[in-house]
Amino acid sequence: MNVGTAHSEVNPNTRVMNSRGIWLSYVLGIGLLHIVLLSIPFFSVPVVWTLTNIIHNLSMYIFLHTVKGTPFETPDQGKARLLTHWEQMDYGVQFTASRKFLTIMPIVLYFLTSFYTKYDRIHFIINTISLMSVLIPKLPQLHGVRIFGINKY
Amino acid sequence: MANPSAVCNGHLHHHHHQKQNNLLKSGISKKNGITKGMKKNGVSNGTVYKKTFIEHFEQAPMYVAVFTVVGFAVGTIFGYLRDFMRAWGLEKRHIAAEREQQKDFVPLYQDFENFYTRNLYLRIRDNWNRPICSVPGPQFDLMERVTDDYNWTFRFTGRTIKNVINMGSYNYLGFAETDVNALKTVTIELEKYGTGVCSTRQEMGTLDKHVELEKLVATFLGVEDAMVFGMGFATNSMNIPALVGKGCLILSDELNHTSLVLGARLSGATIRIFKHNNMQSLEKLLRDAIIYGQPRTHRAWRKIIILVEGIYSMEGSIVRLPEIVSLKNKYKAYLYLDEAHSIGAVGATGRGVVEYFGMSPDDVDVLMGTFTKSFGAAGGYIAGKKGLVDFLRTHSHSAVYATSMCPPVAEQIIRAMKCLMGLDGTTQGLQRVRQLEKNTRYFRRKLHEMGFIIYGNDDSPVVPLLLYMPGKIGAFARRMLEKNIGVVVVGFPATPITESRARFCVSAAHTREMLDTVLNALDELGDFLHLKYSRYSKSAHPELYEESRLELED
Repeated sequence: MNVGTAHSEVNPNTRVMNSRGIWLSYVLGIGLLHIVLLSIPFFSVPVVWTLTNIIHNLSMYIFLHTVKGTPFETPDQGKARLLTHWEQMDYGVQFTASRKFLTIMPIVLYFLTSFYTKYDRIHFIINTISLMSVLIPKLPQLHGVRIFGINKY
Repeated sequence: MANPSAVCNGHLHHHHHQKQNNLLKSGISKKNGITKGMKKNGVSNGTVYKKTFIEHFEQAPMYVAVFTVVGFAVGTIFGYLRDFMRAWGLEKRHIAAEREQQKDFVPLYQDFENFYTRNLYLRIRDNWNRPICSVPGPQFDLMERVTDDYNWTFRFTGRTIKNVINMGSYNYLGFAETDVNALKTVTIELEKYGTGVCSTRQEMGTLDKHVELEKLVATFLGVEDAMVFGMGFATNSMNIPALVGKGCLILSDELNHTSLVLGARLSGATIRIFKHNNMQSLEKLLRDAIIYGQPRTHRAWRKIIILVEGIYSMEGSIVRLPEIVSLKNKYKAYLYLDEAHSIGAVGATGRGVVEYFGMSPDDVDVLMGTFTKSFGAAGGYIAGKKGLVDFLRTHSHSAVYATSMCPPVAEQIIRAMKCLMGLDGTTQGLQRVRQLEKNTRYFRRKLHEMGFIIYGNDDSPVVPLLLYMPGKIGAFARRMLEKNIGVVVVGFPATPITESRARFCVSAAHTREMLDTVLNALDELGDFLHLKYSRYSKSAHPELYEESRLELED
């Protein structure tokens, strides 16, 4: 059980998001989250949509932009130890298919949430802040940038 | 293509449309993940392939991929949960931790790097590193091993599980045997030379056994000269740096073994990777290399070398040697062929992929192989022109620093090779090769009929059976052991995340009964674990189908 025993892919993490079935599972996962939240009796529909949006964006921020390194030891002496998963994707090449997909998903979710919350002011503010928190780290200008040294090591 | 389903000699042939590559007239057609290199109407019309080349890489339905991803996601979430519980003392910690006095030091290891090992690998760890206590022949004995704390620690009960059918050892020709008559010469040499050589090749480690072995290897392969080394992995990693250096270009296949990758990286040359067995990708890389030269200076490359393997052990695919040789001749590159799994295992007389495709060994510049797989010994060789081998004798790291092969092992290879070539006066060698071929075809055909997804070429004795979901990896291996069959399973990250597999290595020493036992067990297990994902399984009774077609055509 070693990384890279049978193929020369130094860091398999870079290709996880391109694998077959990941995009579909991702969408199904959001759907499942939404249904679970809808089943809770005392949440109204706008609240459920806002919660879906917030939880989705929070999870995306944690897994793609906070957690650094790889869950296995790679044979490249840890080049990716200080990189988040977003930065590792496709070895840093920007605007690949998976990156576009993961950028568009929160935006689509935002549109749906704005519609179902009937553009209420408080929901709007919360959802927009949440969307910004997940879109800004994806900009290519912020590749490898750590503001105020947060999450540097 | 007159008749798309012509019946020839009582066998049903499906002639697919030949898709002509604009670069090579190889007639490769790819349909639904199944690649075929076909001859038109049974007559070769200038294609480089002299026989059909059928490889399968079927994709499972989408729901399987989704379930696989969900499986890994659930495993990850539970991993985070358990790590949290361990960190906060809600669960006992079995892993090594820093000493109390060193708690404020910068940590030695990043614990996230062991996340996968801790939380996913460890739960099914009992399927790997199983100690065996007999010769790894077609059947072997395992030491019984139990765990009391969910695979954190193991203990041996002292019992042995006897006669487990061995479907994991690289024992392709069955030379891993303890028969006293077969090993007679080996015991004689052991008594004459002892076990150790105690020196490197360049100092005092070149014995007459090595010279004899090298001559034999050169005769076996049909080349001018050969050199043998003590370790197969080290043959690649120590000799590629001697052959290429800075300013050279290495074009290496995507799925090359770690030894080749390590050798390439150690050499300091530029490495470019082409898609697995994909000749268009290789040609594009060759053209770009020659047109644009080295990265910044645009000078010509000193050397361009293509690294490929004969049989890829994780996919079971065979290299497209005829096309690679024509590409290399066209663009004047060198070819390094690593026949670790294919020497002895393919080819009409067991001489590897060069013979399998009917080509001459002069087409390949560097022939490399190992003795660990088909010859039941240890070590590797590099063969080719005399100038090349003489260069390696002086410049190889292995020759200067590593001890040479020990004499009993060399004698084992000599006797195995003589047996293969027929020099011991029997036809046993040829029989073994034929038996391996028969076993391979039978095993693969049956697995296809049962509906499993198998990767690789129809003639390769390495048979990966796709399991896909992480839960099934553990379940499959454990249940096969309960049925007394030992298999090797492998998952992410050694394979792509959605393609975990079990890898079977068919051996000439397997009898039909053993293969039938394994196939029946696989049939049951396939139904129980729902592993039969193939959508293109052939009918189990092709003869009946054929008869009805004959009647209709009348």
